[in-house]
Parts: sequence; C-alpha cells; structure tokens
Amino acid sequence: MSEPTAAPAAPASAGKPRSLWQDTWDILKHRKIFWISFALLIMFLVMAAFPSLFTSKSPEYATLAKSMEPPSSDAWFGYDLQGRDVFARTIYGARTSIIVGVLATVGTVLLGGVVGVIAAYRGRWLDSLLSRIGEIFLGVPYVLGAIIILGSVAPVQSNPGKTMIMTVVIVVLAVLGWPVLARIARSAVIQAKHQDYVQAARALGAGPFRIVFKHLLPNSLAPILVYATITVGSYIGAEATLSLLGIGLRTPVISWGIAIADHTRYIRTGAHAMLFPAAFLSLCVLTFVMLGEAVRDALDPKLR
Amino acid sequence: MGRYAIRRLLQLIPVLLGTTFLINYMVWQLPGDPFAARCGQRPCPDAYINAMRAEFGLDQPIIVQYWHFLKNLLTGDLGVNFNNVSVASQLAESWPITVRLGLMAVAIEAVIGIVAGVLSGLKRGGFLDNVITISTLILLSLPVFVTGFLLQWLLGVQLDLIKPTVSDGAPFVELIVPAFVLASLNLAFTARLTRTSIIENRRSDYVRTAIAKGLSNRRVVGVHLLRNSLIPALTFIGTEVGSLMSGAIITEGIYNINGIGGLLWRAVNDHDFTIVVPIASLLVLVYLLANLLVDLLYGVLDPRIRYE
Repeated sequence: MSEPTAAPAAPASAGKPRSLWQDTWDILKHRKIFWISFALLIMFLVMAAFPSLFTSKSPEYATLAKSMEPPSSDAWFGYDLQGRDVFARTIYGARTSIIVGVLATVGTVLLGGVVGVIAAYRGRWLDSLLSRIGEIFLGVPYVLGAIIILGSVAPVQSNPGKTMIMTVVIVVLAVLGWPVLARIARSAVIQAKHQDYVQAARALGAGPFRIVFKHLLPNSLAPILVYATITVGSYIGAEATLSLLGIGLRTPVISWGIAIADHTRYIRTGAHAMLFPAAFLSLCVLTFVMLGEAVRDALDPKLR
Repeated sequence: MGRYAIRRLLQLIPVLLGTTFLINYMVWQLPGDPFAARCGQRPCPDAYINAMRAEFGLDQPIIVQYWHFLKNLLTGDLGVNFNNVSVASQLAESWPITVRLGLMAVAIEAVIGIVAGVLSGLKRGGFLDNVITISTLILLSLPVFVTGFLLQWLLGVQLDLIKPTVSDGAPFVELIVPAFVLASLNLAFTARLTRTSIIENRRSDYVRTAIAKGLSNRRVVGVHLLRNSLIPALTFIGTEVGSLMSGAIITEGIYNINGIGGLLWRAVNDHDFTIVVPIASLLVLVYLLANLLVDLLYGVLDPRIRYE
C-alpha cells in the first residue's frame, strides 16, 4: 500500500548474515497496514477465546416480543427474528468462524504440503500421478464440490450435531482446497531442491526425512505461510457461504453465516440483523487477507 | 499450433474422465441415502428404495454405473430426475441464462479489472493507485453473497434504482448488477495481477528500448507493455471461468434468476442429485476448455512462447 518510508535497511556491513525473516520483519514493522491487521487479528482471537469480555448478554436468550427491533442504546445491533441480541450473537459467532477457518487451513496445508513435497522430492512418475490427481480435484468447481459432498453426507433436511457438522465442513474445505497448496509447495521445493546446501546435505549422508524437514521445508515455508494466512480468510467466507446455502453449519451452532442466512428474507424490514454479522464477517476476512498480503509484499524482493 | 491443440485436447480426456468419475462417486457412493428424503417425514418403504435403486442403477458396481453414465452422456441422453422430468429439457431452459450471466461477468471482470490494474500499475503509489488498491482489498474481503445482499439492499431496497430480483427471462439490463456481483471477487484479483505485472514489466529492457527509440507513450503502454502484462490476468480469468459459473448458484439465489444455479439449488434442497452430475460435468468441461483456450492464447499474446 504505502511506500516504506525508510529504504529497507542495508545489510549491516559486518557481523552475522541476515536471514530472510529478519529482513521481512524490518520492512513489516514500518508498515501501518501490518499493524492494523495485526491489531484486528488479536481482537478477533480474543473475541473467539473470551466472548464474554465483549458482552454480558447471552447469545441464546430470546425475547420474542423484541423480534427484529432495530438498534438502540439498549441493544447496539438490535434484535434478530427470535428476539435475541444481535451484538451478542455476532460476538459469539467469531469463535465458530475462526475455528473452522483455521482448522480447515491447517488441514489444507498438511494435505497439500505433504502431497506437494512428496511429488517434488520424489519426482518422476509419482510427481505426474499426484499432479494429475490434483488437477482432477481442481477441475471440480469449489462451490459445486462442497454442495455435492455436504449434500450427500449432511443433507439439508438432516440435523447433525454441532461437532459433527463442523468436522464435516472443515474436511470438505480441506479436501477441495489442497491442490492449490500442493502446487505452491511443489514449486517451492523444486526450486530449493537443486540448491547447493541440499546437495551438500545429501553428500553428508542425510536421509530424505532430514533433508525435507531440516533443509527443504524451512526454505520453502514463506510462500506456504502467506498463502495459508490468506486462505484462513477465504475459508471463513466459504464457511459462511455454505451456511447460507443451508448445507454448512446449522442452527444450534452460532456463526456469522447462519445469522446472515436466517435473515436474508427480512432484508426489507430489518436489514440490521443481517448487515452487522456480514460486516464482522467481512472485517475478519479482510484482516487475514491484509495480514497475508502485508507479509507477502515484505517477503517479495521484486516489489521492494 | 494445430498439433499442439490436438495434443492438449487429448490430454483433457483423462482429467475429464477422472473428474466426472469423482463427481459420480461423490454423488452416489458417499454415506447417506440418496432416496432418504423422498417420502416426507416417514422413512421410505424398502420396496420403494429397492425399485428406485434398480431404476437408477445403484445396485450395480460403481464402474458399471460410471460406464452407463458415460454411454448416456455420449449419446446425449441425460436421463430423468426423480420426478421423471427430462434433465436435458431442464438444462436447455436454464443453461442459456447462466451462460449469459457468466459471459457478462467475464466481460466486466476483464474490462474493469484490466483497466483498473493498468491505471494503478502505471502510477504506482499515486492517488488512483491507492484508491484502486484499497477498493480491490475491500472487494477481496467481501464474500460474494455479502456484496450481493448489500447491493440488493442498497440499490434495490433503499435507493430503488434496480429491481431487487430479476424478472422472468432475465433481460440484459437487469443482469448487470448480478453479473457485477458475480464478477466482483475475480475483478479484484484481475486488477491486482495486472497491476503487479505492469509494475514488473515497466522496468524491463524492452520497455526502456521502446521509450528510447522515441515511441509514443500510448504505443509503449498499449502494445509493448500491455501485451506482455496480460498473461497472468488472462490465465486467471480463464482458469476461473468454471468456478465463476458454479458460483452463480449464490448470485442466482440472491437475485432469483432461473439459471443452473437455481436448478442446482432446488435439486440440493429436494435431495435429488440426478441433475447435479450433468451440471457438474458440464462445468468441468467449461473449465477444461477455458484452460485450453488460455494456453492457446498465450502464443498470440507473447510470440516468444512456442508450441512444439
């Protein structure tokens, strides 16, 4: 966004060589956008961990007489269709969305990372095979794949438990999302594979595990990390989209997506019940996207 | 070029087979009874389930089922849904509407995205660049349905500028806002990709040469810079056509458009997957062909890329 005010500090003339992460940090700490997204991230994490810090009201307590009341000094965000406090439900919704986003990303990174590293490290027929399988998964459009899997495993009419449906949504997001990460990991490892230090490690008799974990992974981590941060944001959006379609998370769970889905029909009479959760959802996605982009810009020497 | 195209077409076949097999597998083989919701509140009688399983071939092994699917697909027979309505006729009604919506979205994303990307890339750090970077960031963080509801609420309900829902037959004018919503996320990506590659290429030697030999600014940007910088944006637009069209399910739901999205939506709610498989296969085909088209266009944009 804004140009760094000071030119990136020239490497100290003497002493220790500087690592990529040190350089990145030097740039990041001068970036306003990094600190804004970092502060927002902390806020959302605290909100997810201790929602009662933000509101004393219960997200489950409903007064039907107050159904769809607009925002007031009593309830900042108004009341929803069931007469529940929208502010409390929005605060409590952070937890589900962030858990789903983070765990689905962890799943994607593990699955895609393992496949990508194996494909790149082994090469030859295994590489082509894994790449073809990735292409097949990539060919299934995202929304459609999720609809098919979720529609079969947890159809619209069914009423699965809270943990069960969250697990299914996480697994679906990871299963459909891994090929992109596998490609990133694969190309990062292929680039690092022929470097001298890897050859040296091999010459010293290091086994494949040691080479991958000690040498290849640390040097391929940057692009994976950046992609993962942005992915958390897009998975939070994807979770809400699936909830909106009625095949993702369901009602006993409190989430932004469900809050929006429950009130889409009342857009003319009480948009507040939908707009506030939507605003929090968008802000949360924005936080992760901004953070990921700030780190990527700092890491990428081409943009300096 | 011709030989390359043919080879690429042949390479599509295994991916197409794999993907359609995967879709067939997911629809029919995953746990959960496909006929569970056919009898209302009470469980279906065994006789009915057995009859339906036999009719849709579910009692046969998956490979045999897949073979039947392929055979039917190649002969143009898409079968009937659970209510005995021909799938092909349903598709024929809704496909053109979604194609129109999708093409409009692609046009919007390509034109606005590339123009915005070029403008902000050329004046890096300037006012316009900051405005465009911030607005693309906002578009990126708004899930498509939020953009959709927001515009529907703002333009349709509050300002009364558009009809909140699209009327029957989906006339061109009423589709503009839904198409913009559908394109919004990709538009932001396209603008950013274009911006990045414009910034990178502006420093390249051929641009300096072009300026040095006295070409007008318009020619340097329009011919030399733009042509080389379009490749990432074009790749992105091409590879995303498939998911754009499947994302239409959300846009079509919000604006009540009778395209394949609406069809899919009703099918999922009725738990009737007979139409999901052909739609999914069709979308996969669109995705693969769009990718192929992009690969072939590379050579047009960048003569250094040769097909052997």
